[in-house]
Amino acid sequence: MNIGRFVVRRLLLIPPMLVGITLLSFLLSHAVPADPVTANLGEQAAANPEIVAAFKHHWGLDRPLPEQYGIYLWRVIHGDFGVSISTRQAVAVDLRQHLPPTIELALVAIILGLLIGIPLGILSAVRRDRLVDQVGRMFSLVGTSTPIFWLGLVMILVFYAKLGWAPPPGRLSARIAAPPFMTGFVVLDGLLSGRLDAVADALKHLILPALVLSSYSLGIITRMMRGSMLEVLDEDYVRTARAKGLPRWDVLVRHAARNALIAVLTVVGLSFGGLLSGAVVTETVFAWPGLGSYAFQSSTSLDIPAIMGVGIIIASIYIVVNLLVDVAYAAIDPRIRIG
Amino acid sequence: MSSADHGFPKGERFAVTRRELLRLIGGGAGLVVANRFLPISTALATPVAQAATLVVAANFVIKSLDPARTIETTSEMVNHATYDSLVTFDGEDLKTPKPSLATSWRVSSDGKTYTFVLRQNVRFASGNPLTATDVKWSLDRVLNLKANSLFLLDGVEDVLVLDPSRVAIRLKTPKPSILPILSSPSLGILDSKFVTEQGGDATPDARDKDKAETYLNAHSAGTGAYVLTRYTPGQEVALERNPTHWRPAANAERIVIRNIVEPATEQIQVEKGDVDIATGLGQDQLQALRRAQGVSVKTSPAATTFYVLMNANPSVGGPFANPKIQQAVRYALDYAGILTIAGAGSVRLAGVIPTLFPGAMDPRQGPNTDRDRARSLIRESGVSDVRGQLSYASDSTIWGVQMNLLAQKIQADLLAVDIRLDLNGLPITTALQQYRDGKNQVGVWSWAADYPDASDFLVYLPGRTVGKRAGWLPDASPAAKALADLGDQVEMEPDNAKRLALYQRIDRQLAEMGPYAPLFQPAVPYAFRSNVGGVTFNSVWGLDFYTLTRTA
Repeated sequence: MNIGRFVVRRLLLIPPMLVGITLLSFLLSHAVPADPVTANLGEQAAANPEIVAAFKHHWGLDRPLPEQYGIYLWRVIHGDFGVSISTRQAVAVDLRQHLPPTIELALVAIILGLLIGIPLGILSAVRRDRLVDQVGRMFSLVGTSTPIFWLGLVMILVFYAKLGWAPPPGRLSARIAAPPFMTGFVVLDGLLSGRLDAVADALKHLILPALVLSSYSLGIITRMMRGSMLEVLDEDYVRTARAKGLPRWDVLVRHAARNALIAVLTVVGLSFGGLLSGAVVTETVFAWPGLGSYAFQSSTSLDIPAIMGVGIIIASIYIVVNLLVDVAYAAIDPRIRIG
Repeated sequence: MSSADHGFPKGERFAVTRRELLRLIGGGAGLVVANRFLPISTALATPVAQAATLVVAANFVIKSLDPARTIETTSEMVNHATYDSLVTFDGEDLKTPKPSLATSWRVSSDGKTYTFVLRQNVRFASGNPLTATDVKWSLDRVLNLKANSLFLLDGVEDVLVLDPSRVAIRLKTPKPSILPILSSPSLGILDSKFVTEQGGDATPDARDKDKAETYLNAHSAGTGAYVLTRYTPGQEVALERNPTHWRPAANAERIVIRNIVEPATEQIQVEKGDVDIATGLGQDQLQALRRAQGVSVKTSPAATTFYVLMNANPSVGGPFANPKIQQAVRYALDYAGILTIAGAGSVRLAGVIPTLFPGAMDPRQGPNTDRDRARSLIRESGVSDVRGQLSYASDSTIWGVQMNLLAQKIQADLLAVDIRLDLNGLPITTALQQYRDGKNQVGVWSWAADYPDASDFLVYLPGRTVGKRAGWLPDASPAAKALADLGDQVEMEPDNAKRLALYQRIDRQLAEMGPYAPLFQPAVPYAFRSNVGGVTFNSVWGLDFYTLTRTA
């Protein structure tokens, strides 16, 4: 099967998968032994039948469950994700506000993971059991086993509170006016509107949370890269390449590392999903107004339209990233046939 | 050849040269280093009127900024700054209503009509003058939207415009609490003409016709000291000084309220001076900040009652429905120890009415810890094995009080008299559902004042909101029925002295015969930079931004 047909086939599978995800989210949200009325109305209001009836009517909660789901699905098909109970904004507007900060964070985190993890993994493998390997292994162990919540607080304490190298948590300093909302990516919006002060401030704010968020994927990537490299370096074709007198750098990077990258690629795809879920904790610690904090807020207030909107978006990202990983396999390793 | 050699000759085991090593790590570490040395220091960032902006950190609880639709803590704080109500309170006080948009008021002899004279020359931020029509429209909107804050106007018959500067509120029955209730930011007065243009509706069909919420979530339409310039849900609220406000201009030109969920993060930011006032702190942070330089810490009493509920319905409460066991629980608790969990500034409660309100019992009148007496009461009850389940919201911290710590303390205290409780900690939403459904055998909860009056705590009476949750109905006993009737009586009693005496009687009887063990009234912990002045915390609306000042 050629790659174009493969991609089209996978893309066609997305809509039924998303319908399944909405159904699952809907059923799970209603399986929770609590009522949106309890989560959203105050003590006195919840005790007043008139207010409760008005609330249920307003949010369509007085209709039978299958009807509620049917209405929701019909609206989603027409591009309407409904209105969030907790922000009173269209969920689409909320997602447009909260998704860019998380993508910004996750992208920088994954780039950091790759830029640090791959070279460190290669070095660990090449200098196995030496100091650099021990350091690399410790690095990956700490990265995968340290709770992000704790790491985030320690990083804030050290780099912001003690050393003063990092800015305070948040996406921008409180006294810096945000650039006009265009794409939702502050760095990009700052550049587009010529607000270099905001760009510089936003970049500074990104570093620490991105480092913390990347810690898990960094650990995994380093470990996978090291393991794959160790395996690949023992292969005959590497020895042959060396025997042919190719420069060491070429052997290491073009022959060994390229093949070792295939396993790492799978991990990168999976860890991108992990980054989106890990963002809930990182965003809480760093007061980052992203999808993670929105998801948390929505779930605690049983904001069903928002929960389902977040589910659809995260699932879509997961599906697309995995598709990209599959396509990238073929690009990296010509032996792999897609189909 | 060892596998460690990877096919490279001896001596070349480190198969990368220094240059190659640098190339390898250059991509990764280089980025980190570049970030460190990039010229993106704060010196480049242009502060926007730094001296004029005060940054407040809060753990956001905002569903809406439309006054008629909200009663949540952070939205009340914002709305208190952007809208004025007819009356208000000064600072932390909750006892004496003061003039705000109404300069004076008169109560009819039957206690059923309140007539307010409006302040002259007050203008909304739009430039429209305030008239009695705006007051009627705003209160009618609350009545007809039937949203979260409707209960505040329970018992209101109608609102009448007497002339442009006088308005009357007519009640179905006398209700002296209406005056303090009218201070609620949820009953703030809106610019009726302007909000109508934005889709606002106050007619009996407002529930379906009103479309102003979206507008009011982005802009305010009041006479308050500030106007809302930006609200990004879950992130930030920005306010700017209202040039048309009727009092002398507020000191701070701009207020930025940032959502910071993690208390430790708030602590560090106020220490560093990036936040001027931190309102979402816990007891741990407060202790640490007491030693911080340039930071002042303070606590203000919160009109909230923490209490243990014991279900009076035998099918739910089991042994805890027995009045002797309930009394034993009250004697078994170590109140001094519980106060250390509650934190600095908290006050022991003898009854369920917070001491902030007239009519509350003197804390010294509460039962003292007496475990011998508790054991003897258990013996008198005839129940041989007292066991049960203690429900609470395990993820909840209220005014710095961690509910899971409190639950553990209660469990340990009761175990000392052989009352065995299993902990049933649940996430707030599910725990709250069980509690509201009356399914708690034993629970530890709090009730926060929705408005500044003791009548908000009559919910503990048999058959009322908390009473029902505790399975305690007026028909439980003649005494319960008499107490319920006393509650109806106090709500309508116009005479202050008589009302006060009635509240004291009710509070005492609730403490003695109710299925509750009142614990304490907490204190709100907050911290601010030492150059910030005028910081007070009102239990109903939080900070009053109007009084804030900052020196360089």
